[in-house]
Amino acid sequence: MSSTPPAPKSWLTNQSARRPWARLAVAATAALALLGVAAAPAVADGTPAPAASERSKTSFVIGVKQDIDSLNPYVGVVAGAFETYQLMYDYLTTSAAKDFAPEPWLAEKWETSADGKAWTFHLRKGVKWSDGADLTAKDVVYTFQRAKDDETANGQYSSYVDNITKITATDDHTVVMEVEKPSPIMLRLAVPILPEHVWSKVSAKDAATFANDKDVVGSGPFQLAEAKKGQFYRFTANKQHFGGAPNIDELIFTVFADDTALAQALRQGEIDMAQDLPAAIAETLVKEPGITVNDAKYYGFNEIGYNLGAATTDGKAIGDGHPALKDKQVRLAIDHAIDRKTLVTKVLNGHGGPATGVIPPIYADLHWNPGSAERAFDLAKANSILDAAGYSKGADGIRAKDGKALKFRLFGRDSSEYSKQTAEYVRSWLKEIGIEATVSIMSEDNLTVVLGKGEFDLFEWGWVVEPDPDFQLSVMTCEQRSYEEDGEIAAGWSDSFYCSEAFDKLYAEQQTMIDPAKRAEKVKEAQRLLYEDVAYSMTYYYNQSEAYRSDRFTGFVPQPSEGGILAFQYGTHSYRNLKPVTAQAGDADSGSGSGGVVLWVVGGVVLVLLIGGAVVVLKRRSNADDRE
Amino acid sequence: MTGSAGGAGAVTRRPRHALSAAYVLRKCLSAVLMLVFVVVVNFFLFRVLPGDPAKAFAPRGRNADPEALRELRERLGLNDSWDVAFVKYVKSVFSGDLGVSFSQHAEVTDVIMERFWPTVLLSGTALVIAAVLGVWLGARAGWRQGSRFDRLGSSAAVTFYSMPEWLLGLVLLVFLNRYGIFPARGMNDPRSTLPAWLDVLWHMVLPVTVLAIVYVAEYSLIMRSSILDERRADYLTTARAKGLRDDLVLRRHALPNALLPSMTLFFLSMGFVVAGAITVETVFSWPGLGRLTYDALRGPDIPLLQGLFLVFSAGVIVMNLIADLLMPLLDPRVRAA
Repeated sequence: MSSTPPAPKSWLTNQSARRPWARLAVAATAALALLGVAAAPAVADGTPAPAASERSKTSFVIGVKQDIDSLNPYVGVVAGAFETYQLMYDYLTTSAAKDFAPEPWLAEKWETSADGKAWTFHLRKGVKWSDGADLTAKDVVYTFQRAKDDETANGQYSSYVDNITKITATDDHTVVMEVEKPSPIMLRLAVPILPEHVWSKVSAKDAATFANDKDVVGSGPFQLAEAKKGQFYRFTANKQHFGGAPNIDELIFTVFADDTALAQALRQGEIDMAQDLPAAIAETLVKEPGITVNDAKYYGFNEIGYNLGAATTDGKAIGDGHPALKDKQVRLAIDHAIDRKTLVTKVLNGHGGPATGVIPPIYADLHWNPGSAERAFDLAKANSILDAAGYSKGADGIRAKDGKALKFRLFGRDSSEYSKQTAEYVRSWLKEIGIEATVSIMSEDNLTVVLGKGEFDLFEWGWVVEPDPDFQLSVMTCEQRSYEEDGEIAAGWSDSFYCSEAFDKLYAEQQTMIDPAKRAEKVKEAQRLLYEDVAYSMTYYYNQSEAYRSDRFTGFVPQPSEGGILAFQYGTHSYRNLKPVTAQAGDADSGSGSGGVVLWVVGGVVLVLLIGGAVVVLKRRSNADDRE
Repeated sequence: MTGSAGGAGAVTRRPRHALSAAYVLRKCLSAVLMLVFVVVVNFFLFRVLPGDPAKAFAPRGRNADPEALRELRERLGLNDSWDVAFVKYVKSVFSGDLGVSFSQHAEVTDVIMERFWPTVLLSGTALVIAAVLGVWLGARAGWRQGSRFDRLGSSAAVTFYSMPEWLLGLVLLVFLNRYGIFPARGMNDPRSTLPAWLDVLWHMVLPVTVLAIVYVAEYSLIMRSSILDERRADYLTTARAKGLRDDLVLRRHALPNALLPSMTLFFLSMGFVVAGAITVETVFSWPGLGRLTYDALRGPDIPLLQGLFLVFSAGVIVMNLIADLLMPLLDPRVRAA
């Protein structure tokens, strides 16, 4: 090539004929080095794992499927976030493991005035924050006052605090709350008590973006040690907690984005528990030695909802729902045409049961079902109901009345396979009774909008029901229909536009009943009314599969006792009570394969690279005399 | 090579600098213009997404209190009219503030920075490995066209290239993890007793392998075809006539010229490195930008999506700019006259 002595140029210039391989190698090395340097902060910000000392700890690792959106109790909305608040902080009361009944927690005892408008909570003495300061009534007052005044905090806790008019500390261990109307929710105030001396430094402006992921001061049974967003959250046990010292030293949540990987990690022992596995995947784990799968009752139900005459709260009709669905006979017929047994066996693989009342059986005291009066799957009966109501079949086999054919739009949700399958089944059953349903599948966000505008006939969705039945019943009140705002229609909670004076009355009555037994009566009555009116066609209650390493850990406390769930409870029952199977926590051979294997493999890889490198170098040497 | 300066004819020769100031300026300017264009389009792009962010990110989700929702919409600026929102948006973007993520409840810049390096580490490493390996494979295959190496290599490349990444990832993960060889998730193991950097390296092996296997085909196929183009060139005949070993003819003469298309591809892919690899990041629960994008689409989390797309576009534009500036240095044929 060129005969001029080349000035040393960079490898990128057109010294084209000089050892491209070497240049490429240099390029690759440079790029890798760059990446390495670039990535160093990401890698190095983790505390270097102290060897051996880590081993002597008992860590319980749970794999979860959704990252925790925020550790800040004012803004997090996903289930995992609420789980961390329960660990880091304490609440006035908790929900019993046995049956969800309110139990003393930070508040040892309480009394309420005769009119139910003043509540006095007596706090436990000697509770300390993790920084050593005392937890007093001042902190409780601060917490509730802030939840009322601070916009961000109120967004999260309004349903608990808006009814409270005044909150005062009469001494260090007594808090008095005055309420607008008596409410049973006062024993379920799920507001984590925060330390005033820390949170008073977080301004109202910062509250919405405060991460709360470092140096967290809490009083709860587990304290945050390390948070790596999108990866894992490590909590250390608070051995001084008044609920008793947890038996494990560490509780770790690791985030998985893939179900198969989650199940595999449990098999491998990388984690000790997998929370919420799809039934199909959970079934593959049933036979694995050392793994127990818990098919737990869950808080939810699913339904086929109807457009019962969409309207705004002031009664103005909206949307374009099919008028025939206002006819109870049509809904009755549809309800008889839904084969819930098939849905449970085919859609849920048997992991659930047919649904009746809107409060699932997991809440045994509040759940209502019709018993022997349950509507059976009976296509002949469904057909005869429609015949009697004057919906006669046309030439195309579709029923019609007053020239309006029974052709419905049925909406399913794309986020759920169950939803798609259910919609398809329902469509085929409706065909049997002369009703044509056109299924469309869309995202939940879009469906919310469609429902709010009343532009639907039927839909498939479900609700997750809280221990207090108030919210679930409120969904069916007239008050929760859509509302108009600047000419825009916005959705309330209602998705069916059910509106019944009798129901609203029952709802209002139960809202102020403090006696649980009396209230349960009303709640059951309300459910019965919904069932008789066919406000929803309830489809199924479903289970949630959790799997854990029973060869390593034991002592879980299910909630409720009968077939309840083990993790993500109302309270921290399992976390505080689970313990390692072996007495020797030290030799729990946990972690990603044993470190030894890892080192061997890494060593092997390095060796291979070295040998390969040596071979290449030697080969180059031998070719060196081939130079031009 | 001396040339008279300042001729007007098309064939006049001038002393050529690899990069003229005008050329650099022109390229930089067009990059900046493209970025501005992206910023503007970004705003409208995500406002056509359906859904109700307020509903999606309100406490209790579907159970959100209508009153609280109204306040939330106000706070998120969802009630602003288009023009007001646009002016707000442009102002904040040019002051370096990308707003607050709806779903993560934190500054968009912080959220993205947190996930930026893991993604670069994963895709970048995979890309470099794939490029080096692909170039080598492609060059060998092209040089010995029709040999067994070529037939096997090319069909393997095409097979892996057309294979879905997630499937390959899952198969590898389940198979290898069964023997406890590689971890099933993420970038670090909270229970690891290894030094942090080694732990990360250990977690990288599988996802990087999957990505590299899938990327390798691009390079090997491109390299193979450019070697095929060069093979019959006269200068190679000359080199062979000098009595050089075949191997040396390839290495010293054919390769440098054939490398150019791969270089272009490499820089193009470099631009996409920051976008991560959604499917692989999902299978291996890797805390990167790809997965973040996927999560941000739910809702939708408009500020976060805007921020992400700005970063992705900037990545591609900057890398293209670098490629544009390097190409004249590498290849005399594209120099600006």
